[in-house]
Amino acid sequence: MGLALALASGPAANARPVSYEGGWTLIEATDRQSTSLLVHHTVDPKFSIGVRSEWDRKQDFVLNGVQATYLAKRWFGENYQANLYVYGGVGAATGVGANQAGTNAAGFVGVMADWETRRLFASYRARALAAGDVDSSFMQAARVGFAPYEGDTGDLHAWLMVEVDHRPDNADAVGVTPLVRFFKGPALLELGWSVIDNEPLANFTYRF
Amino acid sequence: MTRCIAIAALAVLTTATPGAAAPHEGHAEIAVERAHASEGDAMQGDHEGHADHGKGGHGHEHDHAETSSSADDAPRDVALIVRTDAIVAAIAGGGEPVVVDVLGVVCDFCAKAMNKTFGKRKEIAAVYVDLDLKTLNLVIEPGAELDDAMIEELVRKAGYKTSAIRRGAAALGEG
Repeated sequence: MGLALALASGPAANARPVSYEGGWTLIEATDRQSTSLLVHHTVDPKFSIGVRSEWDRKQDFVLNGVQATYLAKRWFGENYQANLYVYGGVGAATGVGANQAGTNAAGFVGVMADWETRRLFASYRARALAAGDVDSSFMQAARVGFAPYEGDTGDLHAWLMVEVDHRPDNADAVGVTPLVRFFKGPALLELGWSVIDNEPLANFTYRF
Repeated sequence: MTRCIAIAALAVLTTATPGAAAPHEGHAEIAVERAHASEGDAMQGDHEGHADHGKGGHGHEHDHAETSSSADDAPRDVALIVRTDAIVAAIAGGGEPVVVDVLGVVCDFCAKAMNKTFGKRKEIAAVYVDLDLKTLNLVIEPGAELDDAMIEELVRKAGYKTSAIRRGAAALGEG
């Protein structure tokens, strides 16, 4: 099968794709489009590098590659944090199932931005992927959320969110996914359901 | 008429606003203490929602409100060290308490980053990040040194930024 590189769903929003210096993070993301796994190591407070594996269930391809993420800007406030990330990667994408395009080299670039307080959250992300005959695509997604209560360190934090994504190549170009986020210590779990095409969302992040 | 209204309004303000007028010694202090007491009440109210809070569920008690209201000379508008079991033990062992105000602390990942970054330093006897107070609470090992510049650098490596550092008595609310 081929290797190709693609980025199907992009890094999960607010999964904090850059961690503390020396930190490792595992990010699993499943949405209406794809299922992916990213394991990254933060080399510097502004830069992480990781390996990515992704299965795009809609476009029928698998991507394996490496991803680098750069924290272009972080805004600090007493009660908020905002981030702007840019990222890119290369790898190999291989058609599976109905996609008989074989294997192609692939590359992707993207941007993520988020703003967060203890009670409010907003984010945006976008990515462009080129994988030759296997797939080429663009996606963007925005999310807003709020926390019904403020949990302190180590408490179970809960968020109610809704994500709207736009994938021009899909039959259902716009998706709407309400979700709940649970956050405790180093673990983050998100569960949701795409109401447009009845697909689940299940994201999990663990920071080592 | 206008003058009467103005005088009446001034009278209302000086009686309704703590410390708005300090005709005798002590009013300013009372005003600050009240302001902080309100903040402390808010913090305590916020903490009431935590079933395990202050009962060892996550191993600490937020005594900032109580401590600061009982410490006569402490600045009333700053957070004091959070007394987790580990921090209390480390202070009892002769360690130096340090409270760092950190900007951008909004979630447990922030706490994780700083816990990991500081927890592996040999100079650190205890560390705790408080999301409510947005503080990094440290106890430095007896005889060890970790200056402000190094603390700022370590916070930066964790991905955040300091806004103030208080040590020793100031961190305890006794200075």
